[in-house]
Amino acid sequence: MQKKVYILGGFQTDFARNWTREGKSVQAMINEVMEGAFSAAKIEPVEVQAAHVGNFAGELFTMQAHFGALVLNYDPVLHGIPTARHEAACASGSIAALAARTEIEAGLRDLVLVLGVELMKSVDSKIGGDYLGTAAWYEKECRGINFPFPKLFDRIYDLYNELYGVDYEHLAQISAINYANAKRNPKAQTRDWYMSKEHACSTGEFNRAIGNTLRTTDCCQVTDGAAAVFLCSQDYAESYCTKNGLNLNDIPYIQGWGHTTAPILIDDKIEDAKKNQYALPYTRRAILDAYTRAGISGIEEISCIETHDCFTITEYAAIEHFGFAKPGEGWKAIEDGVIEFDGSCPINPSGGLIGGGHPVGATGTRQLLDACLQVTGKAGNYQVPGAKRVATLNIGGSATTNVVHIIGAGS
Amino acid sequence: MFGVNKVAILGANGTMGSLSGGIFAQADIPCIYFARTLEKAKLGIENAVNQARSEVLREFIVPRTYDDLEMDLPDCDWIHEAVSENIDLKNEFFQKIDRFRKQGSIISTISSGLSIEELAQNRSSDFKSHFLGMHFFNPPGKLIANELIYHPDNSETFKKNIYEFCEKVLRRVNINVRNIAGFAGNRIGFQLLNEVAVYAERLGVDRMDYLIGPYTGRTLPPLATLDLVGLDVHRAIVQNIYQKTTDERHETFRMPEYLQKMIDRSILGLKTPSTGGFYFKDENKEICVLEPSTLKYRKIRDAKSDVIERVKRHIHDGSYKKAVSVLKNDKSEEASIARHFILGYVSFSFFRVGEVTPEENGIHGIDRVMAYGFSWMPPSGWVDFLGGPRETVRLIEEADLPVPEALRNLPEEQLCRIPDVTRFLIAA
Repeated sequence: MQKKVYILGGFQTDFARNWTREGKSVQAMINEVMEGAFSAAKIEPVEVQAAHVGNFAGELFTMQAHFGALVLNYDPVLHGIPTARHEAACASGSIAALAARTEIEAGLRDLVLVLGVELMKSVDSKIGGDYLGTAAWYEKECRGINFPFPKLFDRIYDLYNELYGVDYEHLAQISAINYANAKRNPKAQTRDWYMSKEHACSTGEFNRAIGNTLRTTDCCQVTDGAAAVFLCSQDYAESYCTKNGLNLNDIPYIQGWGHTTAPILIDDKIEDAKKNQYALPYTRRAILDAYTRAGISGIEEISCIETHDCFTITEYAAIEHFGFAKPGEGWKAIEDGVIEFDGSCPINPSGGLIGGGHPVGATGTRQLLDACLQVTGKAGNYQVPGAKRVATLNIGGSATTNVVHIIGAGS
Repeated sequence: MFGVNKVAILGANGTMGSLSGGIFAQADIPCIYFARTLEKAKLGIENAVNQARSEVLREFIVPRTYDDLEMDLPDCDWIHEAVSENIDLKNEFFQKIDRFRKQGSIISTISSGLSIEELAQNRSSDFKSHFLGMHFFNPPGKLIANELIYHPDNSETFKKNIYEFCEKVLRRVNINVRNIAGFAGNRIGFQLLNEVAVYAERLGVDRMDYLIGPYTGRTLPPLATLDLVGLDVHRAIVQNIYQKTTDERHETFRMPEYLQKMIDRSILGLKTPSTGGFYFKDENKEICVLEPSTLKYRKIRDAKSDVIERVKRHIHDGSYKKAVSVLKNDKSEEASIARHFILGYVSFSFFRVGEVTPEENGIHGIDRVMAYGFSWMPPSGWVDFLGGPRETVRLIEEADLPVPEALRNLPEEQLCRIPDVTRFLIAA
């Protein structure tokens, strides 16, 4: 029987911070998230055997690459460990976690640091929007276009609208829920911002159209931030529990995962979607793969979800793709309140990307951390009561790279 | 906690009236903005809308003039007073409020200096028992601290309800403070700001703002902060504190004479762009700095020092322990001045425990107001960075500053409860 891979907790930085305004480098962010993670998980740096770092575009935003090596600057005892930087656009943090899990499953390591990091406020929003275009096929889809990504997700909105029809109020509700959830999360970027469904439905100076349909309130934030978690083998987890007086049954572990890649061009995705009842068939496949690996029947066995809401339409799609409702009927879960904080399966209790923030390379790692906090009852004011199993969906590009994790604790 | 269905904002045309009123409206509570004219009240609404960055806020606010107080006040559950800081003017309004308000409605004043007891002395007993000071910081959309100054007639239930409402509905970080000049934040903050102004006379404005710059745990350098505050406001605050309090550093509240001369010449800061403040933007948009001895402006000097730049580089890299180690140990004059102000701030803050905030809250109330009201490194954050209470006491003694007993007696463990305090160490 395959041994389990456990997660020993970690840390995220305050996503409301602006590190450029603080005059700090991405190394400072790495140092702070590592300090926090070692302290939260009660692990000594000398125990770490490898590090996998998720980062999307450090070269563009900070003129810095080689992020694996930066981890070693935290403490000389780390000198010599194998490290790697992983890039899959907004899914970079999850890809780093997949690599770490694979190494542990293969018996190569017992304790691996997974760290996601992105410093994005170093440039203005127009330049940053252009850099984000490299997550699509830049030359064909983004060159010369202002804020290309909202326009690409507008195409997904158009696809949905064509297939099933979309009521904009449902998107506004998704945005309002994420902002409301963020108010409970002391590390969420928008925790002190004003927001309401009425504001999301409004248009004007403070809620501009970014694409044809999507508005400011439909978009996630430009965020500086990092998150880190520790993945470990069953042997390490057992000794960790002995040392810290814990019960192995209470330690979160990866119950299932899914990983697919769709064609990068949005035109190709739309062609594929039209042959399929699901608008994002590769996202759906990643979710089903994760359910299968976790040995569960579907959404009814999930306590809550941390999903990728880079835009409201992405979460709208996720609602159906996770199986809350049949394709074209995702709005029912919104209207019924199922996905709200006190609903039967809340989505993004943390505030997600729209409310919590989206430091691109860190988001997948942040989602894993939140999943761990939920299943261990440590999510504070945004704790979903009794959460035992949490699913995460992390998407890179225009739903190109799809990574799903299912994290649970208990037998 | 109680329900609040309608709030009256008096003085809603002013910056603090409009913006603090906006915090109520942002909680989806209908508000009435009162000013001398409807046009002024409407300007206040624009301020609140811009703070919230939402047109939707307009739906929650209606403009009125003071002629409508009699008609509207009886419907209000909360009356928030933010008229000019003038006791006679405030009394005039409180008299009307007392006459028109319904029994049990809350009355808060945003006053940052006047005595809460004195303001309510001629009012009815129901007024007194529902009256308190709520000191917001500017701008309240970004600085979320809220000093609460209770009237002696407030019941425990009233105080608990107010505290909970401000925390949960208005999303404020509350600090219970005593009814003493400057309360907690201004007493501590303006001690440092005024002392820096005193030093600037000898060492220069630009040099002091460099030496006690953002790397010492603040968003803005001290004298640039005073330009933002306004020198007339600064004078009102430090004179009030100087007259009404005594403490171990009393003389540091005496405003230097050149500041009075600046005020006499309408050199008040950002509010007087044509005459300037400590800084002045000339016709070529170049920022010049004031020479205190002549009150003339000159070009900013390159005042960089090796040691300060070394500290900032460590902060830039996230090597905070190394940064603090340089600050602690360097023998240069620059490091010595930086230590004087950092340790002076820590010393002064710990001396105020029990005087400006309740003794049982320890340093934590003061920490909260300095972090969330001033965006400064909280004093206990410095104690942690400096190596704990014992080491901080040693450094304070070495800097020839008074040592507070409240610090000397603390256990050697992490003191600061405010998360992410590294954000206050700014290398920009």
